[in-house]
Amino acid sequence: MSEALQSLFVLGSTHREAPIELREQFALEGEDVLALQKEMLELPHIKECLIVNTCNRLEVYGLADSPEVEDLVRSQLCERNGINRTLFDSHSFWRTNLDVLQHALEVSSGIDSQMVGETEILGQMKGAYAVAKDNHCTGIVLNRLFEKSFQAAKSARTQTGITRGQVSIGNVAVDLASRIFGKITQSRVLLLGSGEVGESTAQALKSRGVSDITVSSRTFESAHALARGLGGAAIEFEDFQAQLSNFDIVISSTAAPGSILTKKVVSGIMKKRQEKPLFIIDLALPRDIDPGVDTLENVYLYNLDDLSKIANENLKQRRIEIERARAILKSYAWTLWLQLRRRTLVKK
Amino acid sequence: MNTILAAFDALSISDRGAMGMGAVLYLAAFACGLLTLRMSKPYLNSLILVLLGSGFLMQILGLNIRGAEIKACPLGNIFEVTQFISWSLVLLFFIVGPVFRVRLLGFFTAALAAFLSGGSMLFPGLDKPYPPGIFGGNPWIELHAALAIFSYGVFAIVAVVSIMFLIQQHGLKKKQFMGVYQFLPSVQQLDLVAQRLSITGVVILTLALIFGSVFWLENLELVPVLKLSVTCLVWAGYLCVVLLRIRKKLVTRRHAIAAIMLFILALASLWPVETARSSNRTVPGTINQDTSDLRAE
Repeated sequence: MSEALQSLFVLGSTHREAPIELREQFALEGEDVLALQKEMLELPHIKECLIVNTCNRLEVYGLADSPEVEDLVRSQLCERNGINRTLFDSHSFWRTNLDVLQHALEVSSGIDSQMVGETEILGQMKGAYAVAKDNHCTGIVLNRLFEKSFQAAKSARTQTGITRGQVSIGNVAVDLASRIFGKITQSRVLLLGSGEVGESTAQALKSRGVSDITVSSRTFESAHALARGLGGAAIEFEDFQAQLSNFDIVISSTAAPGSILTKKVVSGIMKKRQEKPLFIIDLALPRDIDPGVDTLENVYLYNLDDLSKIANENLKQRRIEIERARAILKSYAWTLWLQLRRRTLVKK
Repeated sequence: MNTILAAFDALSISDRGAMGMGAVLYLAAFACGLLTLRMSKPYLNSLILVLLGSGFLMQILGLNIRGAEIKACPLGNIFEVTQFISWSLVLLFFIVGPVFRVRLLGFFTAALAAFLSGGSMLFPGLDKPYPPGIFGGNPWIELHAALAIFSYGVFAIVAVVSIMFLIQQHGLKKKQFMGVYQFLPSVQQLDLVAQRLSITGVVILTLALIFGSVFWLENLELVPVLKLSVTCLVWAGYLCVVLLRIRKKLVTRRHAIAAIMLFILALASLWPVETARSSNRTVPGTINQDTSDLRAE
């Protein structure tokens, strides 16, 4: 039975087969994706082709009227990309027929992603499909496969917990802020230091609607530059304690050797804030905030370990859900396989 | 309503039967919420709303049958008062829920309503018979009683919101994020809702006391001192909490604890108040001296 669809294939290299240095080499650049798709279609036996090219995966989906196309496809990809064929062969996979359906469905739903359950991949798959379809690189089989995979991805996400809980430090911080303040759009954020993790956390808050972000760093120029990037303002580092009571969320990621905020200072601030809670995110190592601050009423202090623990726990929960999602996708893949066979959309 | 009552008469559903079914439905709503939370399934808001709504309707029916029987608002003994409080609590949930959009409020409301309603059903001794016309046909005292008990319903929902606040705050402080914590509303929202509802409750209780005082001033000897003192104590307690909250002297956690403690005190006060009222009914010359027409169980 499996021979009926011998000609459906996927050639790929992902985070599972190749380390980041190799993925960087394998990745196609802008125009190359469409060019390679067209070149593939010019190869003998290839009827349809679609390429998914993201930072974590390069995959060539195709339909051929002969099962003997693997070598041709591999060679064409390596030639266009200027990569060593042996190197690519040892860090890539080749799948056919029903396995292709299952793979596409797993990729769309995010269970094959490095960050299990991430939703960005679905958008990237849709984008790749739109480009291929607009350029007439796909036909009945790949159209049906991708449209079904988007549908299946939605089912797997809604029926299982593969997308539940945040798995990045920034998004975990946003979730916590929502548990403290509800709508965070009105929250005022102070970013202390110009560390990368602090910046990405501030970005995550900004992406959820926070508009009032102030940056303070020992070097005013870097604070100013970062504030400009975040669409906020900068204040002198010497002034931040005096203005602290005006902020709801404080993200600290300075390189200070000791605490820059003591329990006494925060206690004084809380008297001014009265009933308003204060969320402090300490992302620095060594820590910027005196751990005793956490004992203060209405102050919620989270450090890097706390946030990582939550992110890892969420990731663990998502991984537990993978098998359930896979079972759902399997039934979708099998149904799709039967449909394709019944309608003889794929040639023997 | 008469047609509905007649239909239920034909089905031989008694007042206690209807109230009992209400309690079971509240319990089912709570169990349903608990099950979905324990199994980490999506929270079944619609099902909980349907169960709570059905329980509420059954309770209305039960209170109506009882009211029609005694020809007054059924607030004559601890059983009826507790039923009325749990009914007010659920009514307020249906008002407060859409206004403040507080997640899981239905689940917690169902828990307290099931506890109050079901608990009072478990002790038949609380449903003591009493003579008809307990309010002596005085509309002011009937309005006073209904408003006072309704304010207790408001304080019940304040207690529910305060419990939710303490759970969420505990989760945030202890770095807990799975289970119920991820579905609860924010601490700031819960704190704000509790504050606004506390003010509403105090306003309603104050109005109840004003209406009651009209009757009291005219019939000083009919109002037991113990009842008056306990009621005023509860009112003064809530007034203090609200004033301190407005002046930001009693905020967040301490406000939540005070609201819960006061509600427990308010519930506990029903016992001495009812005892004092019952003993007052036996005093010759009082409004309830006609004991020949005791409401049959």
